[in-house]
Amino acid sequence: MPTQNVSNMDATAQHIFMRPATAAMRSERVAFNVFRVATYAVLLAASIIFGVIFIKGADTIFQREFPFINVPFLVESPETLHVFDHEGQHHEMGDREFRKYMAAHENPTIAEETYVYSAGGIFPCIVGTLFLVVGSMTIALFVGISAAVFLNEYSRGGRVVELLRLAILNLAGVPSIVFGLFGFGLFVLFAPVFASAPDASHLYIPLGFGYLNFSGWGVSLISGWFTLAFMVLPVVITASEESLKAVPKGFREGSLALGATQWEAIRTNVLPYALPGILTSSILGIARVAGETAPIMFTAAYVVRDRLPWQVEHLLDVLFQGVMALPYHIYVVSSKIPQNMYTERVQFGTAFVFLGLVLAIALSSVILRNKLRARYRW
Amino acid sequence: MSTNDQNAALSAALKGRARAKVLGLTFDDVMRYFFGGNATVAVIVLLLILVFLGKEGAGFFGQNQVNLSVYRKAGLEYVDMMRLPMEDFTSLTRGLNDARLVRFQALLASGKDAEQANAALAEFDAFADKFGAVAGDARGLMTDLTEVVSAVKTRVQVAADNDLERDMLRHAGREEEAKALKIEEVDFQKEIAAIKAAAGAWKPTADAMLAGLKAATATGRAAAWAKGDVLLEKVFVKAEKFAAELPKVELRMAAWNWEEPVPYSRSMAAFLFGRDWITASFWQDWYGMLPLLSGSLMVSVIAMIVAVPLAISCAIYVSEIATPGEKALIKPYIEFVSAIPSVVLGFFGIAVLGTAIRSLSQVEWLNWIPGFPMSERLNAFTAGLLLALTSIPTIFSLAEDALANVPRHFKEASYALGATRFQTLVRVLIPASLSGIISAVLLGFGRVIGETMVVLLCAGNRIAIPDFSEGLSAFFQPVHTMTGIIAQEMGEVAQGSIHYRALFMVGIILFFASLIINFIAQKVVRKYRISIG
Repeated sequence: MPTQNVSNMDATAQHIFMRPATAAMRSERVAFNVFRVATYAVLLAASIIFGVIFIKGADTIFQREFPFINVPFLVESPETLHVFDHEGQHHEMGDREFRKYMAAHENPTIAEETYVYSAGGIFPCIVGTLFLVVGSMTIALFVGISAAVFLNEYSRGGRVVELLRLAILNLAGVPSIVFGLFGFGLFVLFAPVFASAPDASHLYIPLGFGYLNFSGWGVSLISGWFTLAFMVLPVVITASEESLKAVPKGFREGSLALGATQWEAIRTNVLPYALPGILTSSILGIARVAGETAPIMFTAAYVVRDRLPWQVEHLLDVLFQGVMALPYHIYVVSSKIPQNMYTERVQFGTAFVFLGLVLAIALSSVILRNKLRARYRW
Repeated sequence: MSTNDQNAALSAALKGRARAKVLGLTFDDVMRYFFGGNATVAVIVLLLILVFLGKEGAGFFGQNQVNLSVYRKAGLEYVDMMRLPMEDFTSLTRGLNDARLVRFQALLASGKDAEQANAALAEFDAFADKFGAVAGDARGLMTDLTEVVSAVKTRVQVAADNDLERDMLRHAGREEEAKALKIEEVDFQKEIAAIKAAAGAWKPTADAMLAGLKAATATGRAAAWAKGDVLLEKVFVKAEKFAAELPKVELRMAAWNWEEPVPYSRSMAAFLFGRDWITASFWQDWYGMLPLLSGSLMVSVIAMIVAVPLAISCAIYVSEIATPGEKALIKPYIEFVSAIPSVVLGFFGIAVLGTAIRSLSQVEWLNWIPGFPMSERLNAFTAGLLLALTSIPTIFSLAEDALANVPRHFKEASYALGATRFQTLVRVLIPASLSGIISAVLLGFGRVIGETMVVLLCAGNRIAIPDFSEGLSAFFQPVHTMTGIIAQEMGEVAQGSIHYRALFMVGIILFFASLIINFIAQKVVRKYRISIG
């Protein structure tokens, strides 16, 4: 019954002379649909996460009146939220405002509920994260690009290079919390510090003009920088190598043929063409550095800190201070304070800002990479 | 400038370049070594990780050995021999309570109010009271012994602390103060003799308990109201087993020798195969990996069960089925998913997913699923689902690469023989790229087991080995993980303490686990790659 057969099938893809569907074709269609559903299920799950955080967080970040963005949330420090009823009115206010209110009303006795970090904003966290990212990426790019130049330009294979590659591959698989422990053991507790007097409780080396005490850098920005830099190193090396490989061989050969030394060839004919690619691919490393919490938990992050990173007495103190960071702040506000309508504001707001920041970084990486591909074709 | 000058300048420049050497190295050599030096950073960092984890973790086994030998010498081990049967007995009474609850609810369901139901259970309660009272004397003895032994242990600890302080004082040059510090030498011989004397009461108490228990079980079995109650029957069977085990305690107590040294291997075994991770306890601290390891594995297995089929389906879809337009959308989107910070996923789990799954589990017609309705909002399943999302991008991109790397002519040959696309996929493409897919799965597994923030926030953080006696509902129990415990406890421990070192040991195990997983993944790729000829 050919007519019935046609009407049963998808009319657009079939014609009447077509072979009736065999079992193999039918199972193929079913299987492909299963794959399709699975793929879109993953995309849907991710979209739900993005959606929930962006929609709920938007309540905190945006507002209906001018300037439409909740500026205080972005430029103030976290405060304790006080919730209370007084004189028949419901109040929710931050710490400073609360103290003013109490003073103005001659310190009435009221039943209040307090929620730490739930008022004010997240400015110190944003600043801290930026400091961490800039410092650690500088270190990681410097070491990573140099390592990639060696691997791609100088090395001629052999055991040593194989060992290096193996180490890089394995470094990429080390869990981030292990990097945290390592950073704690090496930088926080053991790294050397210059001092005029020896520190008897630690190992020290006399230098003649002073002492090198192995007393560690403490929980500080610089400890966090190195920890994060080493964590992201494999990403940077791999990205840099790929960009270096993309530079045609002829560029180097032409330069060498004109009498340039190898370093001159690299400096003038390889790096300038590879650098944009290196930087764009390394942006993904930035997303990783900004997003990781575990490595900075014991090396650089403070739960709360009143002063901003640049409010220090000596310039060098900038390096040796802990900072607040967005990922750690999210951890703190989501695990240490209860979930309710008062705390939701800061929780989702912080998650919104953080996720937005990281996704913006990732997006710029994707866009720049596509642009770059269009520009360099050889 | 004349040509002569130019030539002179040129030749000077060329010669100069040839000559400029520092320590026998030209500038070019210097640059070469500089880059080479930077390349070795990866190796150095790996070594440093090993050294510094080892440095902080070293001494754990020694300290644990001391910890365990104090446990033995102070008599805690001895008392624990008696304590364990008491805990078993408590679980018996708990079984009775469960049985009562079931009866009570059945009575309520039959239309009685709470008071009537309680009245109807009067016989049961009388029996339960009698049953519970059987252990009364033994409990009292346990309490007394616990106090005695704890006091001894405290003295040992105070002595150890003073010893440490004296060393510090000596180190600081305050010799007199150090001398003034009295350190008690605990005479274990005497203490143990006292404890043993007090524990002499155990045998008559245990005998009385045994007799009471047998009588109680017999009356319970015979009672008319207990007929046909499956739960009660279970309790009675357990009680019989308990009664059979109880006399063995005495034998163990008799065989116990406080002077027997605790070997180093015992300290290692207690860490690697210990079933308890108990810290800051008034009684005895245990540092056993098993609950953490099993928690980590449980969460990872859930994540992999979810992630592997989805990620491989995605990879197949993108590389073989999707239109170019879909491809251009899906690939960057999944890259985006990999950029989601894990702490945000963990927060999502706490704030949204945990509650959502629990309310889903309370839906009536889903009750057939083991473990539903869930009692805890945050459990291994919640964490596993979120971890799946973190590993999907890893598995996807590596598996997709593997599929894309299968040579075109494999596929074309298959088509030429008349195979459909699906047949080609299953019979040609997947076998040809299997090594790559397996290594992708392994690396995804490595990523999941090392993930910290999601499990810290969402796994429920209850330190216990998952209990599979209830079947698959174990997947919905809260667990704690290796990564989670480091993140949670590292901030609170005293530097150099045994607990601190135990956390570093966990870190070392994680480090080696990641190395091994990486190693296997590489081996799989190399060894089983189909030669492309």
